[in-house]
Amino acid sequence: MVVYSFYIFDRHTECIYSRLWARQDRPISTSSTTSGGNTLVPDLGPARARPARLSAQDDAKLIFGTIFSLRNMVRKLGGPDDSFISFRTGQYKLHYYETPTSIKFVMLTDTQTLNMRNVLHQIYVNLYVEFVVKNPLSPVEHPGGEGVANELFELALDQFVKGVL
Amino acid sequence: MVFAGAERKAEGGREGGLQEREVVYALIIINKAGGLIYQRDFADGLNKLSINDYLVLAGTFHGVHAITTRLHPLHPPPSLDPNTRPDPPSGIEVLETENFRLQCFSTLTGTKFLLFTEPQQPNVDKIVGKIYELYSDYVMKNPFYQLEMPVRCEGWERRLVGYLRVLNSR
Repeated sequence: MVVYSFYIFDRHTECIYSRLWARQDRPISTSSTTSGGNTLVPDLGPARARPARLSAQDDAKLIFGTIFSLRNMVRKLGGPDDSFISFRTGQYKLHYYETPTSIKFVMLTDTQTLNMRNVLHQIYVNLYVEFVVKNPLSPVEHPGGEGVANELFELALDQFVKGVL
Repeated sequence: MVFAGAERKAEGGREGGLQEREVVYALIIINKAGGLIYQRDFADGLNKLSINDYLVLAGTFHGVHAITTRLHPLHPPPSLDPNTRPDPPSGIEVLETENFRLQCFSTLTGTKFLLFTEPQQPNVDKIVGKIYELYSDYVMKNPFYQLEMPVRCEGWERRLVGYLRVLNSR
C-alpha cells in the first residue's frame, strides 16, 4: 500500500494544501528547475514520446476538475444524498471525502488500497480541525494555502499517513 | 450520517454472503468521440434523467476519463528499447459511490461501456465481457448499423435484455 499524494481543496475551488510522497526516481521534466546532479539522463531532443510533465499546480487543477465533474455526475444519477467515494484506474486509485462545509480531501494511492474514506475523515477531524481550524493565528479562509501548511499539521500528517500504512 | 456508506457496506457484505443478489441498474455505451450511442435501464435504483442529460453525462465522462489518464503521480522512466512501447495509461476503470458502482470498460478502439451495478456486485468484468461479446455479434456484425451512430438493432436489444433479466432475477 503506497500513498502517492494528498490534496485539500476549499469551498472556493482553490487547492489550499498539497503534499506528494511519491519519489520521482528520474524526473523526465525539463520545465521545472534543473536539479544539478541529473547529468545521467540524456536529452532526448525534440522528438518526445510523451508530453511534458505538468506542474504541480496544473495537476491540482486537473484533480479538482475531475472530482467536481464526477461528484456532480454521481449526484445526478444516485440522488442528492449520494456521494462519490473513490475511483480506480489501472495505475492509481483516488479517494475522496467532502465535509459538510465543502472542504474536499483527496488522496491518491496505489490500486490495491482499500477504502480510505475513514482515513480522510480522521485527517479532517484529528488533524485539520485540531491544527488548522483551532489555530488562533490561522485565518478563517485560506487563500493561497495560507495557514494550512503549519509545522504541526505537516508533521502530524506525515506521521499519520506512515502509521496508517 | 457521514458513514452511512460504510455501515451499509458492512450490511451488504453480510447479505451478499447469504443470497448473492446481483443487480445491474443500467448500461451506457459511449463512442470514441464522446457521443452517447446507447442507454438503457434494467432495474430501478438510479434516477431517471432526460435524454439530454444522458448526452451531457456521456460527454462529461469522456472528458474526465481522458483527464484521469494523465493524473498518475509516478511516471515510469522512458523505455530504452525503441521497439517496445509501454502500455498506454488506462482511465477510470471502477468508480464507487454510496449507492452504486460504475464499471467502465474501454475497448481498444475507444468505445466505452459503462455498467452501473449494486455497490457490492461481484464479477462485473465477466458481465461486461459478455455484453461486449453481444455488442460485437449483434451490433458490429449488423450490416445496417452505421459506425459511431446510435445503436438501434433489434437482435442486440432482445439478447441484451434477455441476458440481464436472467442476471437480475437470480
